[in-house]
Amino acid sequence: MTPPLGPLRRAAGLALAAVFLVAAHAPAQEPAGPADPSRVVGPPRGHAPTAEALDARTDEVAGLLRCPVCQGLSVADSPATMAVNMKAQVKELLAEGYDEDQILAYFERSYGEFVRLQPPLRGVNWLVWLAPLAALAFGAWAVKRALGARRASGTEPASPPPGPDTLPEDPKLARYVLRVRELAYGWGGGRSPASTD
Amino acid sequence: MSKGAAEANQPSPLNRRVLLVGLAVVAPLVAVLFMNLGRNPHAIGSPLVGRAAPDFALRPMGGGEPVTLASLRGRPAVLNFWATWCVPCFEEHPLLVRAARSLGDRVQFVGVIYEDSEEQVRGFLARQGEAYPSLVDPGSRAAIAYGIFGVPETYFLDAEGRIAAKHVGPLDAASLAAKLRLVGLQP
Repeated sequence: MTPPLGPLRRAAGLALAAVFLVAAHAPAQEPAGPADPSRVVGPPRGHAPTAEALDARTDEVAGLLRCPVCQGLSVADSPATMAVNMKAQVKELLAEGYDEDQILAYFERSYGEFVRLQPPLRGVNWLVWLAPLAALAFGAWAVKRALGARRASGTEPASPPPGPDTLPEDPKLARYVLRVRELAYGWGGGRSPASTD
Repeated sequence: MSKGAAEANQPSPLNRRVLLVGLAVVAPLVAVLFMNLGRNPHAIGSPLVGRAAPDFALRPMGGGEPVTLASLRGRPAVLNFWATWCVPCFEEHPLLVRAARSLGDRVQFVGVIYEDSEEQVRGFLARQGEAYPSLVDPGSRAAIAYGIFGVPETYFLDAEGRIAAKHVGPLDAASLAAKLRLVGLQP
């Protein structure tokens, strides 16, 4: 008696076999390079820009790529020969109809994520984008809390404006302040003449 | 006196809080610096290591059939990106020539010229010796495909055309032997 799962199981087996077949063939299709970028990033997915738009588009995409021989310069901004060559290749790829993602992926394959000036939103990179926002939110919360605490403790800060005899709360620090006033102004015991009146 | 000394040794609550916040800010920075200061920021691991080598078809200097990745298959290959204006390339050149001569057919050494003129390269090889083809790379297409940051950089390909190792900077006898072992050669 065939259980009702039979066809399902057969389909799963076929799918598994297909996965293995694809996996076995993947390395053979992988090699690529200057000869044919489509072997790295697949056939062109975009539309080649018009001749007038091509230069502007080249600058845009090259602006997203880090020049590998420079210090923190984009391929669009660097006069280095390497950057000029990379920019020429960006232009060529655009003219062939590759889209921005494909072009970035093409260079990333050779240089790693380093070549992208903007880290893509994936994996640990989310931290780079989210940490500043989180820090900002935490700061806003801390300020709000501090203001709330001050408001709760009284309408306005109870402490009078600082005068010549104002002392820090820290007793150790207060002793130093008194000593400094004594030395600097010649006040006995660090107390101002006004206070001893 | 004893009371004052005890007070001095005991941090006040404010001081302790400043210390804790300071530590929370500074400790991660120090940790990051400590982990990364000793690292060369240019020695970024190549994503190509362990993968199939990027394809290329480059004309050898002095003419002849283009050398392709496929033509290198069947035995390990050493792909050395170099230029005559690069001093470390000059320093490693005799070692590469010696290794290519002594290993003979067991490995294919290939030089890929990086941002240099054929005329300069011809003069350099005439003076310094030549034991393997030097390929012309117009527009640095091969250099870009191999993720070159500077010269010299050397890739070690196994007999199946897979990148087994990358060496950044000049090779010395020990590092060359170690990398050749990775592609199955006992020099």
